[in-house]
Amino acid sequence: MLVAGHLYPDLLNLYGDRGNLIAFARRCTWRNIPVTVREIILGEPVDFRELDFLFIGGGSDREQGIMAEDLRRHRDNLGEAIEDGLVVLAICGGYQFLGHHYQTGTERVIPGLGLLDLYTQAGPRRLIGNCAVEVELDGRPVRITGFENHSGRTFLGRVQPLGRVLAGYGNNGTDGLEGVRFRNVFCSYLHGPLLPKNPRLTDHLVSLALKRVGRNPALAPLDDRLEERAGAAALARLGLG
Amino acid sequence: MDAKLMIAISSGKTAAQCSQLLGHHGSSLPGKVALRLYPGTLRALAARAERGVILVTGTNGKTTTNNMLARVLLEAGYRVICNREGANLISGVTTAFLRKATASGHLEFDWAVLEVDEASVPGVAAEVDPRMVVVTNFFRDQLDRYGELDKTVTLIDDALGRLPQTQLVLNADDPLVAQFGGLASPAVFFGLAPHARVVERRHHTRESRFCPLCGKELNYAFYHYSQLGLFRCPDCGFRRPEPEVEGLQARYLEDGVACTIRRGGRDYPLELPTQGFYNLYNALAAFAAGTLLGVEPERVIESLESYEPATGRLQRFRYRDKPVYLNLVKNPAGFNESLALLRTDGRRKDVFIAVNDNVADGRDISWLWDVDFEVLEELQRNVAGFVCSGLRGEEMAVRLKYAGVALQKIVAEPNLKEAVGRALDGPGVAAYFFATYTALWPVEKVLRSRVTPERGKQHAGSRPSIS
Repeated sequence: MLVAGHLYPDLLNLYGDRGNLIAFARRCTWRNIPVTVREIILGEPVDFRELDFLFIGGGSDREQGIMAEDLRRHRDNLGEAIEDGLVVLAICGGYQFLGHHYQTGTERVIPGLGLLDLYTQAGPRRLIGNCAVEVELDGRPVRITGFENHSGRTFLGRVQPLGRVLAGYGNNGTDGLEGVRFRNVFCSYLHGPLLPKNPRLTDHLVSLALKRVGRNPALAPLDDRLEERAGAAALARLGLG
Repeated sequence: MDAKLMIAISSGKTAAQCSQLLGHHGSSLPGKVALRLYPGTLRALAARAERGVILVTGTNGKTTTNNMLARVLLEAGYRVICNREGANLISGVTTAFLRKATASGHLEFDWAVLEVDEASVPGVAAEVDPRMVVVTNFFRDQLDRYGELDKTVTLIDDALGRLPQTQLVLNADDPLVAQFGGLASPAVFFGLAPHARVVERRHHTRESRFCPLCGKELNYAFYHYSQLGLFRCPDCGFRRPEPEVEGLQARYLEDGVACTIRRGGRDYPLELPTQGFYNLYNALAAFAAGTLLGVEPERVIESLESYEPATGRLQRFRYRDKPVYLNLVKNPAGFNESLALLRTDGRRKDVFIAVNDNVADGRDISWLWDVDFEVLEELQRNVAGFVCSGLRGEEMAVRLKYAGVALQKIVAEPNLKEAVGRALDGPGVAAYFFATYTALWPVEKVLRSRVTPERGKQHAGSRPSIS
């Protein structure tokens, strides 16, 4: 049984982010891989090492403040789980919070969890729009699409980006990089939500989760014609048809 | 009259004619032109009101509430200016006045009843000095235009704070709206009492579960839908205000909804000739506003009971023997209520969904994942097929797939005309058409070429504007 955790679904569920859990769970179920979604509620005890997949979304500024306060208490436990290969997908606010800090426009520095070598700086205007990124999955290039909406500009230290921006802004609108990849942690600015729109990325995460618990990571193919058509339409909207 | 105003009015009216000649509807261009030539145009025209200006705002129900209230006032014998087309930015509001003005700038009316986009409320209110503001509800909508819901609410809060004389008409059941009762302005609340459909479970798209005043989690005795319900903050004591206008015994009729409105200790039964539970809220808001403005409650009820929905507000058509419904969907709360219609209607039906991602729709379509399509896992038994169309129709199809709808029931057809035809000619005995803002008018146009309107002539001027 794979356990997929949704961190603070009450707080961090902007832009349909719960679709990421829906996609992860459905694509397991369609292949008869037993899976359960566990909602991690604010203030309740949690051991991240017991999870196979963790999703961290974003919220409004106020909601993210509440999350930060609570998650700080679990920092070491989350860090251990990540070292142990926990598969994590963090989007937007969740992504930023895994880094060293977030520098707001007003010279205020909000400390992050410092689990990933990156930091974020508030920018003068929001970076909004459809976005396409080329990522490498199992040595093969895959084009993923989504919608970004962030004012933070993220800069990477000694970590790999998730991919290269084909259209849109990505991490900061300047260096052409998008997201981050560190061990089995995947971070991105792409909402959409990301996983339902990009089934190959979803399957990659499922495989990694299976591998970690010593199960066969090879996945049976599914009928993904609708997803492929949606992805093609999204790329066409960006002039990348 | 001021020469600059004269020029602005006549230029605006010329722009309207040109734009109509070019085949556009011109529901906001005239105002844009006039405001450019003379920024004081709206202020000058609104000041002509014999009685006053009323603004209707909020995420959902603006158009319907506004049209209901305009009808109430019209049928009470007043001369009313109303921006019926949903052209609800400052340019569209100004256009509504220009349209009623003569070329020489002459304009007489009693009331202006104006639906105003949330983000435009501060700008419009500063110009028109409203006598009354009606706030329907706040849900997440078109995030990429406004940032976050919190910001929208703060924007309106600030605007209302500058209007201490203005009568507020507020939804008691929405904590985000009810908090405005704490402002200096006089406030009257409308709300719904518990009834058969209330839910006790938590729901995915509940917009704000936290007290808008102190941030603690709110306690709910029940929910109507989304965050609307009987709420109370355990910490600071903020709670649903006792509504002066309350809907009791809300229930579904065969082709409408009904309740008993209690006001000032008296009961007024109401039967609305349109489906959609949320329309009761719109009617309660219009009833509260209309009676406050001095219209007899019985006359308000009469006007509401003969209300005809505007374009895409559960507009009814007939195709051969098949009833056909067209409804605008623009945010999770509204779409969830549209899906509730499928539950109410037990007939076998075809469902059509058109999703566009133009600016007026919200370019970010991720909100589709905040809609509780998972209810279709069960409801699909009574659905012959789903046809998805629009610029992002394929994406809509993916959403249905992940909601658990059987693949063989999902069709993605980018060609709108083909897609409408497929749904109309489907094996169902009823058909439901849902469309986002910029898809609504094209869908209606195709529908109109195939079907007959259910009742009377739907006013031709009611097409939505993409202002």
